[in-house]
Amino acid sequence: MSEKVAVSFKINGKEVTLLALPEQSLLRLLRENGYVEVKCGCEEGDCGTCTVLLDGLSVKSCVTPACACQGHEVWTVTGLSLQDHIGQLLRNNFAKYGASQCGFCTPGMMVTGVNYLMNGGTADRHAIRAAISGNLCRCTGYKKIIDAIFYTAEELQKEAAG
Amino acid sequence: MSEYQVLGVRTPRTDALLEASGQVVYGADISYPNMLYAAARYSDYAHARILSVDVSEAERSPGVRAVITAKDVPVNRFGYKFQDQPVLADDKVYCKQDAIAVVAAETEAQAQLAAEKIRVEYEPLEPVLDPVEGMRDEVLVHEGTSNTVARIKIRKGDVEAGLAASDRIVEEEFTTQKVEHVPLEPHVALSELRPDGQLVITTSTSRAFAYITQLLKILQLDMTQLRVLTPPVGGAFGGKNDVSLEPWVALITLKTGRPAKMVFSRKEEFYSTLRHPYRMKYKTGLKKDGTILARKIEIISNSGPYVCLGKDTLTKASVHAAGPYNIPNISVDSYLVYTNSALGGAMRGFGVPQVAFAHEVHTDTIAHELGMDPVEFRRKNLFFDRGEGATGQLLDSRAMRATFERALELEKASGTGRGGTRA
Repeated sequence: MSEKVAVSFKINGKEVTLLALPEQSLLRLLRENGYVEVKCGCEEGDCGTCTVLLDGLSVKSCVTPACACQGHEVWTVTGLSLQDHIGQLLRNNFAKYGASQCGFCTPGMMVTGVNYLMNGGTADRHAIRAAISGNLCRCTGYKKIIDAIFYTAEELQKEAAG
Repeated sequence: MSEYQVLGVRTPRTDALLEASGQVVYGADISYPNMLYAAARYSDYAHARILSVDVSEAERSPGVRAVITAKDVPVNRFGYKFQDQPVLADDKVYCKQDAIAVVAAETEAQAQLAAEKIRVEYEPLEPVLDPVEGMRDEVLVHEGTSNTVARIKIRKGDVEAGLAASDRIVEEEFTTQKVEHVPLEPHVALSELRPDGQLVITTSTSRAFAYITQLLKILQLDMTQLRVLTPPVGGAFGGKNDVSLEPWVALITLKTGRPAKMVFSRKEEFYSTLRHPYRMKYKTGLKKDGTILARKIEIISNSGPYVCLGKDTLTKASVHAAGPYNIPNISVDSYLVYTNSALGGAMRGFGVPQVAFAHEVHTDTIAHELGMDPVEFRRKNLFFDRGEGATGQLLDSRAMRATFERALELEKASGTGRGGTRA
């Protein structure tokens, strides 16, 4: 078995150095080190529940090599929903509009939703649908998730209009 | 604003904010100090006699602390009503999803690597894959037991007399396929021994008490020696109703004294129970004006190698099979058949989606053959204010008419309906 190597990167705004196997995924490394808010659903890049932000772009952490994150910046659902303004608004709207049922896809949905809104996504149901197309949900039928992102986009548009 | 404090008021779920910030702790998020990881070795055949299982190389593999086989299981048969399912295969494997041994190691990777080193010698047997063929009992899944493991018979009125009095008979056959629940969270189970000697199993199910009953028997413990805890579950849809990996981790803990954990891979998730495939024959006798006189139904359910919840789902399917229509003469004959294909279990609707598919397509076919609008045909025959089901149960269904009319309104408004008769 290969030797572990030190990987330094920023997670939820904090500098960390973690020991990773060269073949290890970012998902496995994060979960091993207590960031269990990042969920494992399929481990083959299909379901999207392991989605995190890597340098401001949503990526599936199960197919992202941990060592490739050296010097980069990672945000998880917990960091975004507690520390980021858009994340906080979206979290409240996920609760308000009943966008989570079993809650297992929610960490990935939240990150994908924040990514959409951070990159100027608007209150447009078709665009929201396209944005979350890489995240699977088996409970909600998606409508309430789309609602939560839609109404957050409206709130952000109102804020921007002052 | 509602005039009440609770009724009509939107009530956010108490855990919704925690879910939306990733702070809900699911089974896979739990770890214990000094914990072992488990990996299973599954069968290479759908049906085979096991001649030998050699675990010596796996036991010598790096990080391995225990290998569990059928010999370690105190009572190696379980099931809610029929105790026909082994915890680990002993003399035979009954489907490819059967586990033969479970390895416990210091890391998940070590356990998986060692599981591949288990050598199993088989004598392959002819598999029963089609339940209709299986009913002939030419090859038996369980020796000494007919493959037709359960039968459900429902009679209302006199179906043969009803068919004889009919102007027209419509016959059809339907099949449905296996369906996996695919919850986002794969099955997970953990076990640990508490200082007072109590075994605690934490598992992704909502049926803690059904599991305790079965696990006490499998493990031969008394009620004070076992607790089953259920953390929040990441979706189940009926797929987390049945004991699977819980006895494996428990046996590792009992053998080694150390906590153990197992999480199914996405592939293993497809090894857990599926929706039963049904083959359904419908025969309906009608008067020229569209009145239904009789309906004769036969259902064959592919149980897989064990009964599990197959009889219960088939019972519910049989009760609902004739559909929500006024029919004076009904017969339903349903058969649950053992095969060597994947195990069936509970799934949303519990047998009813299969028959609902059949009776609604059948209804359209009948309307088409009678040259009637399928909406008018349903309006004529549906249980509206009151109906009597196949078992004689009286159904007081005031919601039916409103639901029916609203569905038609919505279809019209959407502009997507196929507008009456079949093209």
